[in-house]
Amino acid sequence: MDETVAEYIRRTVLKIPRDEIKTMLQKWGFLSEAQLQTINFHQIKDNISQDVVQLCEENSADIKQAAELDIIYNHIYPNKRVWSVYQMNKTGEETDFFDLTEFKKKFKRQLRSALKNVTINFREYEDNAIWIRIAWGTPYRKPNQYKTSYVVYHSQTPYVFISASVLKSNLPLLCQALVVASNYCDIREMELRSHSLNSLKDIVFKRYSQNFQTYYPRPLEERNVAPENEDLRIIQENRNEKERIQRVNQQIFGDGPQPKLEFAQYKLETMFKSDPKMDVLDKKEPFRCLVKFSSPHLLESLKSLAPAGMADAPLSPLLTCIPQKARNYFKIREKKGVFPGSFVSP
Amino acid sequence: GVLAHLELLEAQAREAAVKQEEREQQEEKLARLKARVQELRLQRDELRAKVDLQQKGQPGKEGAASNPAQPTARAVIEWKIRSIKAMLQVFYLTGISGKLTKQGVCFCISTAYEGTYLDSYYLDLLTKPEVQIYRHSVPVFIPLQQIAKKYLQTDIRRFLSVLSDHLNAYVGRRHQADQLQEHFSDQIEGTLQRNSLCNLLVFNYNVSSTSKTFPFNVRLLYGDLCCSLPTEVTVSCTPDAPASLAETAAAHSDLFRRVGLHKAFRSFSGAAGSVA
Repeated sequence: MDETVAEYIRRTVLKIPRDEIKTMLQKWGFLSEAQLQTINFHQIKDNISQDVVQLCEENSADIKQAAELDIIYNHIYPNKRVWSVYQMNKTGEETDFFDLTEFKKKFKRQLRSALKNVTINFREYEDNAIWIRIAWGTPYRKPNQYKTSYVVYHSQTPYVFISASVLKSNLPLLCQALVVASNYCDIREMELRSHSLNSLKDIVFKRYSQNFQTYYPRPLEERNVAPENEDLRIIQENRNEKERIQRVNQQIFGDGPQPKLEFAQYKLETMFKSDPKMDVLDKKEPFRCLVKFSSPHLLESLKSLAPAGMADAPLSPLLTCIPQKARNYFKIREKKGVFPGSFVSP
Repeated sequence: GVLAHLELLEAQAREAAVKQEEREQQEEKLARLKARVQELRLQRDELRAKVDLQQKGQPGKEGAASNPAQPTARAVIEWKIRSIKAMLQVFYLTGISGKLTKQGVCFCISTAYEGTYLDSYYLDLLTKPEVQIYRHSVPVFIPLQQIAKKYLQTDIRRFLSVLSDHLNAYVGRRHQADQLQEHFSDQIEGTLQRNSLCNLLVFNYNVSSTSKTFPFNVRLLYGDLCCSLPTEVTVSCTPDAPASLAETAAAHSDLFRRVGLHKAFRSFSGAAGSVA
């Protein structure tokens, strides 16, 4: 077995939390159940990984199999990477009979015709998600297994989720291969980025809870039940206002959990509006300013602002439009027209 | 002289007009208040009558109930609520229901396949300035924009009907593939290759003949997105399979074209052992 392969497997196993190592190796399926029984999973990770490498040596693992383990790790822990969303366009209206084997063949052929030194691995999952792992090399060097890009694609959709590596120069090659393999015409990057891959999918596939008005009674929820330890001596003076805020919040955010985003960024290119007498800016130029909201869970925190009394309800549409517009990077320019104010560029 | 006199007359006329207006307004107000008083008196009399009725009804509670042919107001309201709920339920079960919103209409398309109710999809439409889709929960691989471009402006019923056909067929195909994987996984070799729309399925399954099992490969292409049965079926067996299996392959191919996947497989296991 190649030295580099051994080292790569060792480092991959070290990344896995100790309690998960056995299950992940079982999912990998490269080592037999009998072989796995011989490993003591209670020792320190260094020793576990050495044992695993030893067994892989016995089975003569190659780089493709090692890459499989890496895909499995990244599929279970996708939130360790930052994912961007790309959108593809096509002009024709014919139905696409997406054939997985054709897709894989075309992708590999297109990518390899541009760059021979790449390692390409595919893995399909139950929810029609196709995971592609690409390790990049150069025309003169073998692929560097530590410089990998990941692509997640759901067939017959125009959206691709890419977690690029540091080598941004390979992105055009990757995009070209995707467009050709999936029978689309072009591809562009959307202004939507997050660590949470599933939340990005929820936003573009519209799987998050949008509060649609229907007559059909939904299953009763318990949110209207008053807490048991409500002290009767405390009188709610603002009950009407509180209820109004709840109602407005529910209309805007829906009932279910929000997609998980870590930040929203607004690049302002608007004129600074100040008292003319103060004369802060001599030149009539747009005041460039960047506003960035960060949070472990941005949309949930926005949802709780009004009920917590920290903001008025309804919130600014610039904040609440994030899931519907499927973007968390905005450019706000001066609105050219009768009404002063600003508008969001498309 | 004359001009001053004219001015005076003008001023007097103005004053008189203003006074007249004021008078008219007063009269109007008076009339309104009188009407209001009448209204309130009427209301008061009604309420008095109700109170009297209730007071009279109280002591006689254990006795005969109020006229049985005249149901209580509460019972009437309860019955109305029940029948409205039933009506809404009926509409929901027909598959397409809608509710007027402030800006337009919100439609709900509920799908089903052979008696099993599956997912519901929503469309929030604006009606002004023209009919357009504000937001929706239709899966992104359903050609919603294409269907909207064709029918949304001109014939909204057709739009809903075509979209409903697409969605129902999609969930039907998906249901068949899911059922196949769930109940007949022992007959399938390897993985079932499918895609988001479930309009191309490729897999291998085992057919037993003369106590040996042979793998069949089947490729199902669903050319019509509004249909949950395939338009092209290719069933093939390995070259070393006995000739009689070619007939079985043809029979299976025909069956897949006519009947849902899971039903076809159910008939295989039922007919197991009867294959020559």
